[in-house]
Amino acid sequence: MTRPEKTRSAKARKVLERLGQKLNRQIAGSMVACVHCGMCTDSCHYVLANPGDPTYAPAYKADRIRKLFKRHHDWTGRVFPWWVKAGSVFTDEELEELKDIVFGKCTNCRRCSLNCPMGVDLATFNRMARGLLVSVGIMPEGVAVVSKDQWELGNQMGVLKEDYVETLEWMAEELEEELGAPAEEIIPIDKPDCEVVYSINPREVKYDPRTIADAAKIFCLAGENWTMPSDCWDMTNFGLFSGDDDLGGAVARRLYEKVIELRGKRLVISECGHGYRSTRCEAPNWGKFDVPFDMESSVITMLGYIKEGRIRVDKRRNTIPVTFHDSCNNARSCGLFEEPRELLNLVVTDFREMVPNRAENFCCTGGGGAMSMSEYTPRRLKSGKIKADQLKATGAKIVVTSCHNCVDGLTDVIRHYKLDMEVTQLVNLVANALVVPAEAVPEKPAVPEKVEEVPAPGLPLAGHTIVVADDEPDQVTMLRAILEDHGATVFPAFSGDEALDMVHRHKPDLLTLDLAMPGKSAGEVFEMIRKDPQMDHVKICVITGRPELREVIYERSVAPPEGYLDKPVSEERLLRNVRKVLEVTHHEN
Amino acid sequence: MSDFLHFSEHRLQELALGFMALVYAIRIVWFLRFKAGGERQAKTGPPGTSRTKGVLYSWVNIAMPWAMESTRKKLFFYCQFVVFHLGVATAILLSFIIPYGRGLLEIPLAVPAIQVITGAACAVGVIRMIRRVGSPYMRAISSPDDYFSLALLTVWLGSAVLAAPYGALADPSKVAYAEGLRLTFFLLTAFFLVYVPFSKISHYLYYPFTRYYLGKTLGYRGVYPIRRGSKA
Repeated sequence: MTRPEKTRSAKARKVLERLGQKLNRQIAGSMVACVHCGMCTDSCHYVLANPGDPTYAPAYKADRIRKLFKRHHDWTGRVFPWWVKAGSVFTDEELEELKDIVFGKCTNCRRCSLNCPMGVDLATFNRMARGLLVSVGIMPEGVAVVSKDQWELGNQMGVLKEDYVETLEWMAEELEEELGAPAEEIIPIDKPDCEVVYSINPREVKYDPRTIADAAKIFCLAGENWTMPSDCWDMTNFGLFSGDDDLGGAVARRLYEKVIELRGKRLVISECGHGYRSTRCEAPNWGKFDVPFDMESSVITMLGYIKEGRIRVDKRRNTIPVTFHDSCNNARSCGLFEEPRELLNLVVTDFREMVPNRAENFCCTGGGGAMSMSEYTPRRLKSGKIKADQLKATGAKIVVTSCHNCVDGLTDVIRHYKLDMEVTQLVNLVANALVVPAEAVPEKPAVPEKVEEVPAPGLPLAGHTIVVADDEPDQVTMLRAILEDHGATVFPAFSGDEALDMVHRHKPDLLTLDLAMPGKSAGEVFEMIRKDPQMDHVKICVITGRPELREVIYERSVAPPEGYLDKPVSEERLLRNVRKVLEVTHHEN
Repeated sequence: MSDFLHFSEHRLQELALGFMALVYAIRIVWFLRFKAGGERQAKTGPPGTSRTKGVLYSWVNIAMPWAMESTRKKLFFYCQFVVFHLGVATAILLSFIIPYGRGLLEIPLAVPAIQVITGAACAVGVIRMIRRVGSPYMRAISSPDDYFSLALLTVWLGSAVLAAPYGALADPSKVAYAEGLRLTFFLLTAFFLVYVPFSKISHYLYYPFTRYYLGKTLGYRGVYPIRRGSKA
């Protein structure tokens, strides 16, 4: 029985109106061409991880959107809706159900599109459906928060300009000694007329500044005339995930216009799948902007430097077995899959191909903005079984990926399925393999001007006091053993209150802080230490198994932590990060 | 031959074909009224890939079962697809041969060949129906049109198997069942032609377009032709 029009909610009415405006020939073709052959079913990682549940099947999910097209735009569906399962939406609850499917059961990875004999591109019209829902305010909370940050602050993690610039300066200072150049030459900011303008993902500023330092080192040793913008530097684009073309176009336009303002010749985009796809391929169309300069992935830039002899690498510095995970956006939507392999083979000794790979690879489970939608985390982790099996089969100890979303998605999968692996990016491996020419390193004075007290040889953390706060005794034992083996004096804490007490009592150089502990919350502990002038020397390294809780730290109006590590933490990674954090002498909080 | 059979084999078919062509024409016009999306950015992907190569690859994709994982891993299903569509093409051909080229059916082995192909396709239709009804995944995505279209084609293919041996007869009324079987085949053909534009069977009308646009996009972005590699 047809429901009366007057029962249709305002939001449902707007969704249907905007559906008509969003349709183009490609989407209309995908709407009418499906024959329900079911060939796409097994191509979806959600289906494979949820056997027997047909609601994850790509064709089923597509039909939740397609039914609207059939009912309102296709003649058979208009006249005999029941015959072709056409249908409409009337209530906000029905829109919420649609939200659950388009945001929570699909990462827009496009794997089903490539497996459809008819060429139906579900990922494209799933994104369109997301955009329709977003336009009426129906979306997961994380999507709303991130979109708001990107609209208002210009980057999707709400990084303030001063924090961003300070991080660049910090990283440059870190490299001063190694490269023998002043910080402002190592990472030039807002330098006009450069060959390369380098844009990054805000995740690099917040959680992984090492990638900025590694990229800077590569640019410097290549002798590149490059710069980083002081603002409008975010190459990520939540418009791709939310389906909001206006946001997508506006975000990219800021970056394009910044490059034009700096008179840059080429925009190099750091390793980020959705950022690369958005900035390089989609945003000129969303924003109707003809970009007057070249754009490329940093993977291509780094490969070019090696091929041109501008940097030298020694692959024997990366001997641990590695595999490569193709980001869906890079591989299935931009054809970027051969260059990373070529580069990997130049900087590692043991590369093991994952199967399937390239455009047939499975999603990391964090695509499509899934990492920001915590309500779907259990579903996402369950679907990660497919990725976990793929990773395990390689026998590699490191999985390399050219995407920040994939780094987080894979880290979650590795932790959830207890795999003995780490995730890294190509920039880290290239930087590690770099052969620094002798002339680039400043000569050390034969005799130190001032003899300082040095710790016992062989114990790099000797003399340092560290409080390890974590509610998991095994974790504390492990961290404590590693740190003590390297000379540190360690005090354990198992709750937020205990951590605060230990910090006050021992005034440590470093606090390693878990984010999910009983008692006082990690966010409160963090803020109280930051605001206590007696404790301003205490450096903090977050070590968490729940990256979705990062905001409890990073959204506070105090300086961010000096370090961040995802669990599981290997000895090598822990020590590298702890030493890096403790060596920070110029970074003022 | 009865007047009704003659009408069914000629005028009725012409009317049904004309109707189908008219509806298809309207359908194409309707479809082309949707504006095609374009791409402003410079191309990406490995050298040598292009829009043209992507489109060509996309169009012939279905003839390369190794190209897609979904066909590569389900070769039996792919064979069913080939047999089914060959059977449909043969049955359509038969609907033209009987009224306009009856002599072709006197070529040795022509009739058995038609029967084998359409019979195999009919069997595939039955297998597909069992799959559609038996699999929870298929049931979840199937509409009444999906069931009816498949049933219609299967029965129609069956009628082609039965009608083929009598197709060469100038006056089938002189042979028991011949007229009835031919009449059944042509009435079903006419119904099929009228129903097709409103059903999922019309997918072949859209196939060139959907594959064209997907191929154009993925070719320009260097994804098509698909590259695979199991080793580093």
